[in-house]
This record gives sequence, structure tokens and C-alpha cells, in this order.
Amino acid sequence: MTQAPPHGFWQRMQQIPRYYIYALLAGVVIWQLLFPIRLPIAPSRATLGVRDAIRNVPEDKIVIISVDWDASTQPETGPQTQAIIEACFQLKKRFAIMNLAAPMGVKLANDIALRVARRYNAKYGVDWCNWGYKVGQGNFLMAVAKNIPKAVATDFYNKPVSELPMMRGVENISSIGLVVEVTGLAGMTELWLGLIQGPYGTPFASAYTAVMAPGYYPYLDSGQMKGMLVGAKGAAEMETLVNRPGSAVAIMNVQSWAHLLIIVLIVIGNVAYFMGRRRPGEGRR
Amino acid sequence: MSRLFAPAPTPRLLAAYLVIGLVGSVILIYLLHRGLGPRGRRWLIAVVTFVAGLFYGLEFYYPVHNRKNFLTDWIEPVSVMIAVIGAFTVGLGIYSLCQVHGRNVARRRPGWPNSLAFFVAFLAMLVFGLWSHYTPVGEPAPKVLPWQNGVYEVLFNGLFAPLQTATFSLLAFYIASAAYRAFRMRTAEAALMMIAAFIVMLGQVPVGAWITSGIPLTSPWAFFRLETLGEWILNWLNMPAQRGIVFGIAVGALAMSLRVWLSLERGTFFSEQR
Amino acid sequence: MATLEHANWFMRGLFAAMSAIIVASVLLAQRGREMFIRRIPGLTAIEEAIGRATEMGRPILFSPGLDGIGIITLQALAILAYIVRLAAAQATRLIVAIRASEVYPVAEEVVREAYDAAGRPEAYRPEDIRFISDEQFAYALGTVGLMARERVATNFLFGGFYAEALILTENGRALGAVQVAGTPDPTQIPFFIATCDYVVIGDEFYAASAYLTREPTLTGSLVGQDIVKGILVALVLLGVGIATYLGGAANEAHNLLWQALARGSQ
Repeated sequence: MTQAPPHGFWQRMQQIPRYYIYALLAGVVIWQLLFPIRLPIAPSRATLGVRDAIRNVPEDKIVIISVDWDASTQPETGPQTQAIIEACFQLKKRFAIMNLAAPMGVKLANDIALRVARRYNAKYGVDWCNWGYKVGQGNFLMAVAKNIPKAVATDFYNKPVSELPMMRGVENISSIGLVVEVTGLAGMTELWLGLIQGPYGTPFASAYTAVMAPGYYPYLDSGQMKGMLVGAKGAAEMETLVNRPGSAVAIMNVQSWAHLLIIVLIVIGNVAYFMGRRRPGEGRR
Repeated sequence: MSRLFAPAPTPRLLAAYLVIGLVGSVILIYLLHRGLGPRGRRWLIAVVTFVAGLFYGLEFYYPVHNRKNFLTDWIEPVSVMIAVIGAFTVGLGIYSLCQVHGRNVARRRPGWPNSLAFFVAFLAMLVFGLWSHYTPVGEPAPKVLPWQNGVYEVLFNGLFAPLQTATFSLLAFYIASAAYRAFRMRTAEAALMMIAAFIVMLGQVPVGAWITSGIPLTSPWAFFRLETLGEWILNWLNMPAQRGIVFGIAVGALAMSLRVWLSLERGTFFSEQR
Repeated sequence: MATLEHANWFMRGLFAAMSAIIVASVLLAQRGREMFIRRIPGLTAIEEAIGRATEMGRPILFSPGLDGIGIITLQALAILAYIVRLAAAQATRLIVAIRASEVYPVAEEVVREAYDAAGRPEAYRPEDIRFISDEQFAYALGTVGLMARERVATNFLFGGFYAEALILTENGRALGAVQVAGTPDPTQIPFFIATCDYVVIGDEFYAASAYLTREPTLTGSLVGQDIVKGILVALVLLGVGIATYLGGAANEAHNLLWQALARGSQ
């Protein structure tokens, strides 16, 4: 709603035009991208849980990485996906990428996997594969639990999955050692927990954007999730654990100072609010 | 049952099914439209709503043996049918867009070049997306792509994905201005909320750990390290509150579902019964 | 809420009990028993917000959220029907911005019927029911563009919203629109509170149709769901007390009970 123009210094400090705020924020981001002040990143228990869950996958089982995200959350979920893929390659765990919602994610994740695979000389179809976007959400998961080759049918490149070397012996949910859900969308975790983790006891871990992660702490506390990556911080922690500092670590440098700026602005606004209340005359010039 | 939902064995039979289905649907809808008045239509909607809800509810609650009951095998084909019906509405949406923007271009209304841009973008993505999808590329990461796949890559990775990311990044600026404007310690609860917000914000970034890095991890005061305090707030304050919210919303959704299933909401959606 | 393949005996019993309480409340309300609903400021403000748009001679924008046809969107459409009837009575233009294509025909029908019910069928304009895009941020930017071009005076945002919520509301605020928002999902509520004039939170969203129409059936259901919530809270407190004071023995008994009840979904 439109407001009267501010009178007095404290009134003006309560109504700093938003363009100045945007400029300040942009300045902080550019400053940290060009001249980063690197601070140490210590992995949290939730992140260590994800790393340990990957480590504990038996040799004869595979990991499913469900990449239900799209380009909008890529700054958070992209590095999370990359760090998880790095961990899988380093710990020599075979994995399959797939996607139940936001079809864009499986292509973006595929590009990430191809890039990382080159560093480890990993072969498609042997060390990793991409099942592609699968329609049906809950119905698909119920079908996967019973018969993976029939439910998945073809991979991202339209080849039958049964022809991929790593899929030999992968029959049903008992062949899955871990499911990692990387998502910026609400509702996907409940499907995995209810249809796969709950009935079959398949280990489950996750990675979320920072804004939605607080809603999933109950599942971490109850033990339904082995671990959780929280936003870019979780991705940075995972990058640190796999010794591949990348874009998430850079994002954390920027985010640190951006948070500080927001806190400073809130403090200025509150100081101005209280000072303005103490000096009622200022508003009446 | 599996024969009922099996694909048609020959193209001719498939074409026959499609024609019969289309003609039959048109005749059925015409007869329903002419034969049923407003009361009849409402009754039909209520019956279809009840049967549809009953199907899923019964399949979920009916006792199972070996994870199945008599309705379980029907779930997948029914879900596929619903998805197909839903897919038809994409055409409706496209029709609405083309109608509105087509009118803007035809009548040269202010901003008509933007509507023209819509058509160019829509057709480009449609053509190159489908073309590249049906062009086989062989190995997973070929060094040289066919040109139409290259155009699709430029449109997708070069335009669409960065535009989405850029739009999402606007939120950072909006959050800054909204937080500055809205966070005022007008009451004690607001002050408490703000303090908690500061702690969690700083606890989630390395600078917060740096600010309190002087407190040794082994000291009794280690709880007051910002990252520890932030995690405590998320695990011990936030989590029970989230659980409570989930309870409340779940019960609200149950009551709403019952009202919709039993068509008790009819008066609010459509004109009241007379 | 976690999804399960099939219910177990505990869930069957719980569902039967909860439904029985809600249905009983509905029947009591239909028999004329007065049911109290506390004031919900966000819903009370709807009429005031529509009045503002009427005074300024500018249109209203309604967004039913980003979800497809489901409980949340159906509730949003119920609120839309109420708003259309009020707006039609005051001859104020209403624009609906749709994201999910399957919601589009339903929204059209709801709006047309609401104009008919208000006695103003001639005021219905099909081009004011606009499918914007099914891409989240394309929808957000398209809706913001619509707000700016049409110079809306009032924004109503009811339904399932996600990351684009702040883009919609911050731009609406910058345009000087009065904004009333409501969503059951707690993730976006902080952003709505920071940018909107009135916010309907969590359960209040599901209470909207009962609150606005005061139909006995709906108010009875609302009271029934509150009773069920009270019972659940009592059960949680009982469980906490037992687990705290009986410790290991309680855990053992709980495991045995749960295994017995869980049979029936295998």
C-alpha cells in the first residue's frame, strides 16, 4: 500500500528505498565472488549421515539418486547432486539417476554425471546409469518395488535397462541399497518414505533446498532418514567431505556476507523504529 | 482384467478403438447434456465424485493379502487413465494462450510484440524439442551433435535453464527488502522470533561458526556456538512445531476430503441448490 | 504426511473414529445446533479488500495457486466462488490467473456459475480466466506482468504456493495492491506474512468455506475436525507421559502393539 513520504532521519531510515537494498546486496555478492573470504566449513551430523549411508551400501546393491529438481533450484540442488555423485564414484558405489517430477532435472543431472564420470573414468551402463523421467510417481514406485526392469523399461537414451551391465541382477527393491532424494519440490519425500522406506526398510537419505528443509527434521529425528543435506550449506559440507570444493563452497562465502547484510539492515530498521517512537516531533515537520 | 487394458494388437484395431471411443464419447456427452437438467448434472457429478473417491479409499482401507486386495490391480490402469485425461487439458491451456496472444497480435494491442515472442518461443521449443528427442544420438555423450539437437541444447541449456535460475535468484533480493521492511520488534513475541531468526541465519553459514569460533568445542559453553545453537533451535523448537502443524493440516485435509467426497461442498463451488 | 501402500488395522480404526466424529458433528449442526467459529481476520478482510477495488475502479486478481485439482485447489476455488459473487454484486472486474491446465476448465465453470448465482451472467468474461503457464516462474512473472498491466487494486492468493510466492506478493505490494493470501503449507507463510496485508494460515485455510458461507454442514465439519485434533493432542500427551515415566517397558509394549496392528497391511 502506498505510504506518505518519510519525514525526519529515523523515518527515512525505516523506509530505505528498496533499490538501495538491492544495490547493497548485489555489491556484497559481487565482492565475495571476486574476492572471497574463505572460512572453514565443518560438516554437520545430518551431512555425515548422508556420507555414511552411501558408504554402508553393500557391494551387490545400487544407489538410486532421485533428482526431482529443475533449473530454478540448481544453485542448491545441482552442487548437492554433484557432491553425492562424487561420493558414489569415490566409494565405488554404482548408482542410477532417475526423476519422478520436473522432467528437466534428469537432463541437468545427466550433464553433471557425465562431467564427473570423466574425472573417475567411470563408464555409463557399468558404473552408473540414468533411468530418465518416469511417469506415475506413487504407482511407479510401487511397480519398482516389485520388478525394476519391467517398471523402468528404458533408460534416458531410450535403451532397454536390462541391456546395461550394471542392471544385471537388479530385480526389485531388495537390490537397492540406498535411495537419495534430491529435491526442491514438496511431496516427493512422503512418496519414498511411505512406499519404499516404510514397507521395505530401504535406507533413505535426502537433500533439500534450505527453505524446505526445516519441515523434514521430524523424519531425520525419527530415523526414517539416515541423513539430510540442507541447501547450499549441506552441499558445501558434502563437497568438503569428498575433497572437491566447488560452487557450493563459493556460494557459502557469498551467503555468509549476504546474511550479515540482511541482519544489519533489520537492526537498522529496528533502531530507526525505536528512535522514531521516542521522538514523536520528528514526523510532524 | 489385463486383457481389458492391454494395448491394441494391430494398428487397424487401435484406429477402430480410437474412432469408436471418440464418436461414442461425443454421443454420450451430447445425450447427457440434452437429457440432464441442472439438477441431473449435479446428481451426476455427485455420483461420479463418490465412486471415484470410493475406489481409491476402498483400495487403501480394504484388508490385503500379500500386499494386494481385489482392487489393487486396477490402480495402475485407472491412474494412467486419469493422467491421460489430465494431459488433454494441456491442449486447453495452449488454446487459451494462443487465443489471448493471437488476439493481441491480430489487433495490434499495446505490447503485441511480446505476444509475438510467445509464439516464436513456443514453436521453436516445440519443433526442436520433438525433433531432437526423435533423433538418435548413439553414445551417451557424443562429441558432435546433429544440428537440431544443438539448437535444442542452446534453447534449453542456454536460454530456458538460465532464465529459470535468474528468476529464482530474484527471491534473494525480495527476501532482503521484505525482511528489512517487515521485521520490527513491536511485541515480545516478534523480538523472540527475530533473535531466533538471527541465530539460525548465522548458524547456517560459515561466518556464524567463525564469530563464535573462540568458544572451544569441548568447553561447557560450546552450546552457545552459533552453529550449535542454530541446530538446537531447528531440532528442538522447530521440529515439534512442524509436527504439530502437520497434525493440524492432516486433520483439516481429512475433513475437507470427506466434504468433497460426499459432495457437501456443492453449494460453495457451484450455484446453490434451489 | 507419509503415503502408505495400504492401511493397517490401526489406521482403519483411526480413520473410522475420526470420520464418525466429523459426520456426527455435521449431523448435529444440521439439526440446528449453534456452532461457534472464532474470527479469522484474513477471511473477514475479503469483503473490505473487494470494496477497495470497487472504490478505485480497478480489477481484482485471484490466483488459485500452483497445484492441480486436489483438496487445496478445490478449497481455493470455493473461496473464488465466494469472491466472484461479492465482486459481481459490486460490478468489479475479476481476473483469474491459472497455472495448472486441468484447473482451467473447472475455474471457468466455477466463475461462470458464480456470476449466474449473483444474477449477473452478462458480467462474465471468459478472457479474464487466463491460463498463464505451467512453468512455476514463467507463471509468476506472467502473473506479475498481468498485475502491472491491469493495475490491479487487490490480490487474492489462495492455494498451494511455492518459491514463486514472494515474487507475486512483493511485486503486488510494490504496485500498491491490497493482498490477502492463504495457504496450508507452512513453508511460504513467513513470506506471505512479510508482504501481505492479511494471511490465512494452515488450518484456517481449510476452514474458509465454512467460515464464509456459515452453512451448518460445513461449520459442523469444522467443529468435528477440531474435536479430532483435541483427541490427537490428548493421545500424544498420553504417549509422552507413558514413554517418559515407564521408559523401556512402555517401548516394548508399544512395539508389540504396533506389530499386531501393522498386520493387515502385509
